[in-house]
Amino acid sequence: MALALGRPKASANLKRRRETRFAWLLILPTVLFVGVFTAAPIVGSFILSFFSYSVISPARWVGLANYRALLHDSNAQHAFVVTFILTAGIVIAQVVVGLGLAVAVQRRMNWARSIFRSAFFVPLLVSGASISIVFSYIFDPVFGVVNYYLHLLGLPQVPWLNSSWGALLTIIIVVTWQQLGFTFIVFSAALGAVPKELIEAARTDGAGGWRIFRKITVPMISPSILFTVTVGVISALQLFDQPYVLTSGGPGYSTETVVLDMYQQAFQNLRFGYASSISVILFIVVLIATYLQFRISRKWVFYS
Amino acid sequence: MRAVHGHTQHQVSRRGFLAGVGATAGMAAAASVGLSGCGASSSKNTLTIAVNGTQSAATAISQATGPAFKQAHPGIDLNFMAINGTDWNDYFTKILTLIVSGNPPDLTSVATEGLQLFAAKGIAEPLNSYVMSDKASLQGFFSDVHPVLIESMMYQGDLYVLPTDFNAGNMFFSTELLDKAGASYPGDNWTKDDFYDMAQKWARASDAVAWDWVVRLWGSWTSWMYANNANLLSEGRWPGGSWMWDTFYQNDPAAQGRQGGWHWGAPTANDPAVVDALQYMIDLRNQRLSAAPDVGGGGTLQGLFASDHIAMTIGGGFWAGGLHTAGMAPDQYDVQYFPAWSVQKHLLGDAGYAMLKSSNKKEIAWEFMKSLTEPAALGALITGNTSTPTRRSMMTASRYAPTGPVHWPVFYGTLDKFPNTTPIPAPPYYQQLATAFNARTTQAMYSGSAKSALDGLQGDLEAFASTSST
Repeated sequence: MALALGRPKASANLKRRRETRFAWLLILPTVLFVGVFTAAPIVGSFILSFFSYSVISPARWVGLANYRALLHDSNAQHAFVVTFILTAGIVIAQVVVGLGLAVAVQRRMNWARSIFRSAFFVPLLVSGASISIVFSYIFDPVFGVVNYYLHLLGLPQVPWLNSSWGALLTIIIVVTWQQLGFTFIVFSAALGAVPKELIEAARTDGAGGWRIFRKITVPMISPSILFTVTVGVISALQLFDQPYVLTSGGPGYSTETVVLDMYQQAFQNLRFGYASSISVILFIVVLIATYLQFRISRKWVFYS
Repeated sequence: MRAVHGHTQHQVSRRGFLAGVGATAGMAAAASVGLSGCGASSSKNTLTIAVNGTQSAATAISQATGPAFKQAHPGIDLNFMAINGTDWNDYFTKILTLIVSGNPPDLTSVATEGLQLFAAKGIAEPLNSYVMSDKASLQGFFSDVHPVLIESMMYQGDLYVLPTDFNAGNMFFSTELLDKAGASYPGDNWTKDDFYDMAQKWARASDAVAWDWVVRLWGSWTSWMYANNANLLSEGRWPGGSWMWDTFYQNDPAAQGRQGGWHWGAPTANDPAVVDALQYMIDLRNQRLSAAPDVGGGGTLQGLFASDHIAMTIGGGFWAGGLHTAGMAPDQYDVQYFPAWSVQKHLLGDAGYAMLKSSNKKEIAWEFMKSLTEPAALGALITGNTSTPTRRSMMTASRYAPTGPVHWPVFYGTLDKFPNTTPIPAPPYYQQLATAFNARTTQAMYSGSAKSALDGLQGDLEAFASTSST
């Protein structure tokens, strides 16, 4: 009897172990990929931030000197400010425009939702550099299409790429345009999941459209808003392609983002250790920003 | 039965998967052994040459120079690696990345912009001993090349590049717009005032922008800075170089006073003459005689010029090929020396190939460098007038007949007529300088104050110079 009971148990354990090994085998490629291409560079970058390394000469231990230099580097500090401004502008624009479009399509043109979804998603498939090249022609202050039509309409021409605010605005427009498909899809799915009976009940109780949107729709889709804000902030803090191609960080240093500064320090100034210290600080900033968002979200995100 | 069946399927699937993983790993290992073996054997006989340009340009160079070289050196393969940089700064960044990744080429194209960077960092190999051991075969080359083009490829008395092509900053015109404005082709010694008069005529006569330029060190407002007898860094010369001048240029008056390459000294970016030059650009923009310039390689500028949106711009010999490719007929544009301000002084940049110190095929690399000094190879290298050949004998009417411009002798004439022609200021910290230069130039154009932007640039350059070892 003991043997009869023991055999199935042993067999079950053996099966579980096999399945566990098989599961590990399945995730091994991903673990290796993330380990080699993400975790190892993060650790390597952290270590490198304590060295002075110019590629050509051997690395030299400098302790915290790179971080101390960063504290006194007004250009780097300015780059963080520029990055925060762009991040705020991009994330707000993406959420507001993405949500607005999703609501408009759902209410008025629900039949064409898949067409819009595809149309808005296409720019996401194109590289940021290619899009930026095209937009550099569109927004060219002298020869660009936008200023041409503004001129035709008798409106003042906008110094899109050769003024500080114009260049920041152009980058926000370009990034928002490219990323809009993502927020549109997320919000479309979230809006589709809002229970219709809740809205109908509110309407029966006399609530208007704006009130229903504020009091029912927004709370119901708040997890999606949190998701898009979090992903948007993480992505925008690492902005590189658009400022690199559109403005090269200019005019002056007015659109120089942290990652652009990091790139220039590493690959143009050959200060790999210093660039690594910038990347470590940016990593910490991303962590803090993400933590704060989740912390604050407890007060406004509705999970029920 | 279903359970047994499912169990069997599960087993088979897992075994199959494991077998597949094993087989794939084995094949990958075998392939990597094969590939590494192949790489090791081929790299021994393969000379890798990094080219600044597209892969099609690299292929064209390969086809033009490869067969003759392979015939002379059987068993040696040439691998032209295209590195497409938006400008020289971008190109050097990519070359340095290759070096960092442990895949340095044997030779790399390099221009004045990066010569001192590569030399001072110990990346490039001095060519003095190679040149002196082959002086008989190189005599013809040096006697055909203006000494300013050689001196600009020297650093601290050593030569690093046998220059293949150059570009001095001249003024290009749209002849169609010239006629439209009722203006005539300016004389050799025209001045800034003449330029201004022409710009105003253009502004009155057409919708085209009278003058445009690009934000970068070469072909920028820097030409006005040179014409105002000023520079971003104090100009000097490294001692040395007599081995070159005494050997190859003994009887050439243009070689007198030449030494061991340009020594870029203390920053002078906020010198009043420099400020005046940049402020002049702002004033032209404010008077709508100039467009707000782009940052970058100049492709957009060339396109706008070719489509008659711009009447005048600074350009070099490479514009002939570019404008021809863009569809301009040889007589639709022309070129003249850059106008005088306080002096008539031009900037220049030249280019060629540098041998990397890390190369283990230096002798073969030298043979390839030498082969490029031959007119046939040089002609093939600069086909379609994509640049100006350094060999004077190659500057012929037949060369410029298909592309124009009519006044093509201006290109080499700049070197002969103006002994004060000077390379662009490219010290070992060129990359930092170029980045700061671009940023401060756009800052000046936006803020309207050249002085404050150049005060900033002066501070930037002082910081770079103090941290640069040389």
